[in-house]
Formats: sequence, C-alpha cells, structure tokens
Amino acid sequence: MPKINQTIQETPYFRVLSEDQIERIYSAALDVIQRTGARFYHEEALELFRNSEAVVTDENLVRVPLSLVEKAIKTHPRKINLTGRSGKHGIKLDRDTVNFGTGSDLPFTYDRQTGERRRTTYQDVYDAGRILDYLPNLDFFMSHGIVQDCPNTQTYDRHQCLAMLEGCTKPMVLTSVDGEGLQDLWRMCSLFRGNEKEYRLNPMFITYIEPISPLMNDRSAVEKLLFSAEKGIPCMYTPCPSSGATAPASLAGMIVQSLAETLMASVLTYLKNPGMPLVMGGVTTVLDMLTTTYSYGSPELSLASAANTDVSKWLGLPMFSTGGCTDSKTLDEQAAIESATSLYYAFLSGANLVHDVGYMDSGVNASLESLVMNNEIIGMVKQIGKGINTEEEYLALELIDQIGPGGEFLTSEHTLVHYKEWFQPKLQDRSDYATWVREGQHTMADRIQSETDRILKEHEPEPIDKELHQELKKIVQDADERHAK
Amino acid sequence: MTEKLGKIADGLLSGNVEEVSNLTQELLDDGTDPEEILQKGLFAGMDVVSQKFKDCEMFIPEVLRSAKAMQGAMEKLRPKLSEASSSKAGTVVTATVQGDLHDIGKNLAGMMMEGSGFNVIDMGIDRKTEDIVNAVKENKPQILGLSALLTTTMPKMGEVINALKEAGIRDQVKVMIGGAPVTDDFAEEIGADAYAPNASIGTEKALELIKA
Repeated sequence: MPKINQTIQETPYFRVLSEDQIERIYSAALDVIQRTGARFYHEEALELFRNSEAVVTDENLVRVPLSLVEKAIKTHPRKINLTGRSGKHGIKLDRDTVNFGTGSDLPFTYDRQTGERRRTTYQDVYDAGRILDYLPNLDFFMSHGIVQDCPNTQTYDRHQCLAMLEGCTKPMVLTSVDGEGLQDLWRMCSLFRGNEKEYRLNPMFITYIEPISPLMNDRSAVEKLLFSAEKGIPCMYTPCPSSGATAPASLAGMIVQSLAETLMASVLTYLKNPGMPLVMGGVTTVLDMLTTTYSYGSPELSLASAANTDVSKWLGLPMFSTGGCTDSKTLDEQAAIESATSLYYAFLSGANLVHDVGYMDSGVNASLESLVMNNEIIGMVKQIGKGINTEEEYLALELIDQIGPGGEFLTSEHTLVHYKEWFQPKLQDRSDYATWVREGQHTMADRIQSETDRILKEHEPEPIDKELHQELKKIVQDADERHAK
Repeated sequence: MTEKLGKIADGLLSGNVEEVSNLTQELLDDGTDPEEILQKGLFAGMDVVSQKFKDCEMFIPEVLRSAKAMQGAMEKLRPKLSEASSSKAGTVVTATVQGDLHDIGKNLAGMMMEGSGFNVIDMGIDRKTEDIVNAVKENKPQILGLSALLTTTMPKMGEVINALKEAGIRDQVKVMIGGAPVTDDFAEEIGADAYAPNASIGTEKALELIKA
C-alpha cells in the first residue's frame, strides 16, 4: 500500500533567505523607489512616467508610488519557454528548473594556437557556438565573446547574432547596441518562425539589458526595454552592482538596491505595454578591495545570487543567475575551484538561467576550454540535484535479502539497471596509478584540450536553410549600410 | 613643527580628515614653508599609505579615506604653493566619453590621484568630445584621463585625441585612458600617452607623465 500524507524530499533543499527576510527586502526596495528613485536618460520613458502616478523631478529623476510598483510587478508571466532555431533544443523557465549557459560579450579570447589573448572575432563566437551546440550539459547560448572584426562597432550585435545562429541551435540570450539593434535581432530570429505572432508564441531568445548601478538607466537600455515591452520580447533587466563601490557593502543593501532597479524596469514596461515577460537578474558581487576588480569568483557572488533567487521565486519571476566563472587568468586550479563552487550554489538555489559559464579573468577573457571543463562540473552538479529516491525498488529490500550476508551485487540485474543512473565522468580520471602512467600521465588540462580540439574538428551544427540565411545576411548588411560613415 | 608634521603623516595613515586639515592650517599660520608641509608631512604620510597598500596591509576603503584627508589638506595648501611645486601636484581632468554612463573606475582613479596631491577636475559621464576639449582649454590640466567601459564607446577616446589635435592643443596635455576593454595596444593605436589597467597604476603613471 502506498503511504498517504507524506512529504518526500527527493532533491536537496537550499535557500538563504526566510520568508520574513524576503518581505523585508522587498519592502525596503519599495522604499528606495518611492524615496530615492532612479534616473532615466530617455525622453519617452520620462513622458510615460510623467503621465502616470510617478513623479519626475530634477530633469530625469523618477520616483514611483508603491501602489504602481505592486500593480506592475503582477503583470509579468510566471514562466517563459524558449526554443532554439531548429526546434530541437528547448528550455523552460519555470520554478526550480535550472538551465546552464555561457556569458556574453567578452572583449578578449585566448587564441588556441598562441595561447595569447587577443580581441574576440566572428570566428570565435561561431566556434563558441559550436562547442555550446555540442556540450550536453549546457542549455542556452550567450555569445561568450564580443565580435570586434566587423565594419562598425554600432552594428556588432547583428554580426554576433548571425555567428551565434550559424554555430548553435540552442536557445539564446542576446545583447544589443540599442533599440534599433534589438529590432534587427528580433527580425532575424522571427524569420525562423515565419511571422511576428508565431514568434511570440515560440521565442528563441531573451534580450539582455543592464541598468547602471546605482539606479541609473541609460538611453540604449531604455530603448531596448520599451521595444521589448511593445513586442512582448522576453527581457532581463540585470543589475551588475559591485558591492562596496556601486552598491552598499552589505549584501542585503546590494540586493535591495538591485531589486529596486529591476522593479523600476517592471514599472516602465508596464506603462508602455503590460505583460512583458521579465526575468529578474543580477551579477551581484563585490569589488575586490585590493585589486579593484569586479569579482567573478567570490563566495559573496554565489550567496547574493542565491538570495536574489529566493526573492525571484517569491515574486513569481524567472531568475537569471551566475556560475561557472572565475577571476583566474588561466584555466588552472583557481578557475576550477571558483567555477565549481558557484555552479553548485546557483544550481541548488533553483535559478532558471545560470550564465557566465566559461567567463575568465573577471569577465574579460573567453576560453573555449573553460566551456568544456565546466560541462563536466555541471554534469556532477546535476547529479547531486537528482537527490535520493526512496521508493521500494530503490530501498532494494528484496535484493539485499536475496544476496544475503557475504554475497556480491556486481552480477545482479538491479546493478545493471541502476548503475546507469550514476554520473559517468568523461574527462575526470579515476584510473589506478599504473594505468595512468601507462596511458601517458595525462592531466585534466590535457584531456580538456584534446576534447576541445575534437569537438571543433568534428561537430557541425545543423545548417540554416540557404534562403533564410540570405535573408539574415541582408538584415546585417542593411544595418552596416545604414551605419556606414 | 616637526611634531606637527609627524602628526600629519599619522593623520593621513588613519584617514583623519579633520585633524590633517586643521594641522595643515596651524602649520601655515605658524609660518611653516608650504613646500615643507607638502614634502615632510603630506607626501611622507601618503608614501607610507601606498607602501602599506602594496603590502596588503591597507585596502581600498582605507586608502580612499587617507586620500580624502590628503585632498582636504591640499585645498588649504595649494593656493600657498609656488608655481614650481604646485605643478608637482598637477591638475587632472577626468571624463567618461559620450554614450557611456559608467564611472566607477574613473572615480576611483580620480580619488587615488587626489591622494597623490593632484587637483582632479571630474567632468562626469557621457561627455561630448567638444566639451572635453573645451575643459582642457579652460583648465589647462597636465593630464586628461578618459574612460570607457564598452567596446562600442571606446572609439570615442580616439575621437577626443583627434579633436585635441585639431584644436592645436594636443601637445599641451598628456592623455591617459582606461576601462575594461582598453589595452596598451589600443592606447598606442589612438595616440594616447598612457594606459592604466587600474587606479593605483594610473596614479603611478600620472606621476611619471608629469615628470617627463
């Protein structure tokens, strides 16, 4: 007989804020919006605020009554589904579903031939796309690097999007130069779905937008927010405060300020067109007080991100978190330690999108090998997430009795079935010493490098239909022509 | 007097803004040579601060508190310094270029330079090229510090340097640049005089530039 009225905790449980603490943080964020406000460098946004209950003073300082914030925040959908261009890969952003992906726009990439860093190219983004397309534990693609070998920095986003689409069939998170850039990216992706309304049912990307902490919203960010609201494009407004420099040094204070920044975006898009799918975000970390770098390897990053994730679930918004990144300049022990730590906590917190996997040198350098290494770590992390099943078959009473004292389990049918549920490492070495020596004493770094070589040599993503590809190129060329000096 | 100079150095180390400012005023009132206050009090104290920072015994928040104390004292001292010595603690104009609203790196660099005795005039964020050129004309700084965080706004720094050339004042000011996507190569490419990857190296390079 099955038991009734039982609570079964099958997966690990982790949270860092209590319900009462979340209430406190949310209440404090409302106070910031009402009392301090935020600046908007965009005329239409200011006009929208002026025509609402909000107050605009000192040219562009916007303060919003909490009643309006509370109205706005309820209008965003609780979940978002994304599908890649070919329809083969999809992800869901609903409560406690965790997806992993790269970060975006790193100015430098490690050259695989020379080992030196150089400016990121179109080919680098395409290659990162192919690696992403291949790696089974990575679910969504951000560009990893920022394309800089294009004719004009003002159209890099279209070139980058094309490289991403060519290289990868998984759902994406896209950056753009401004509203016009976002419109082009949205047109490019809509081509795969036929028309605007179909696209809205089955979007391919979330647009990535940042406020500038503390409490500033620049022209291009606001353009993108307004366009996303108009077209119902899923959108994340993700603050990047550095605790102690652009936000309070207390983590709670940083979380309050970031939440206020996100809620301001909620209000603005609500005034423009209610219902835009909004993702809460935040790379909430500390400014290292010796080197002044914005740290991607600090434990505070993981702790604050987990707290933000708790808040996001309470608000019913999907969450964009961070993990798999490092301050280290090379793919060394430090990189592995920091990547693994942040991946574990981001996963356990239940954030929907864990990004910046493979970020090196505090968000400055891209490495393809780092993606391959992190794929292995994520495999381990996801295994922990499976938790413990305690159903009859898993308690294995019959088996224990059948084998009895002094027996062996190796040859039982039960083992043959259930060992396949374990994590099988692909790159980690568990061999005995003599075997390791006989096989050439390869290190993890060696294995990561040859696996990266192999994927780049062998993996070809599903091609884009030729006609469609021409249409995509046309959008990119048109943008280049418009911006040619 | 020597005792007071020592106290100034100690006050800088502990970041006591009021004490350092008051002591500087007292020494000036006593008729102490401003050059001596600068060298044996303020610079001596800040030398210890930068050594302690290098040795990881002081961190950025403490260094900035010391820099604030330095700046307070310099406000008192600067009008009394001879032209020769005030150029040792020269003027820096800083700005984030047009289209970019990021400024924490620039602000940090400015504060650290104030700690080294520079008079820092910060123009703020999103500043038009022509406004920056005008500020150089008006303030005649020894150094112009330009900042950009984005690869999309980085080319504006080159535009400012070209505009300085067109205005015929490029040789009157040293240009330093900074920001996450900036490199030595880029500095060379656009004809800047120096690139600094962080605020403390920026301060060192600023001191070298005005010596040169």
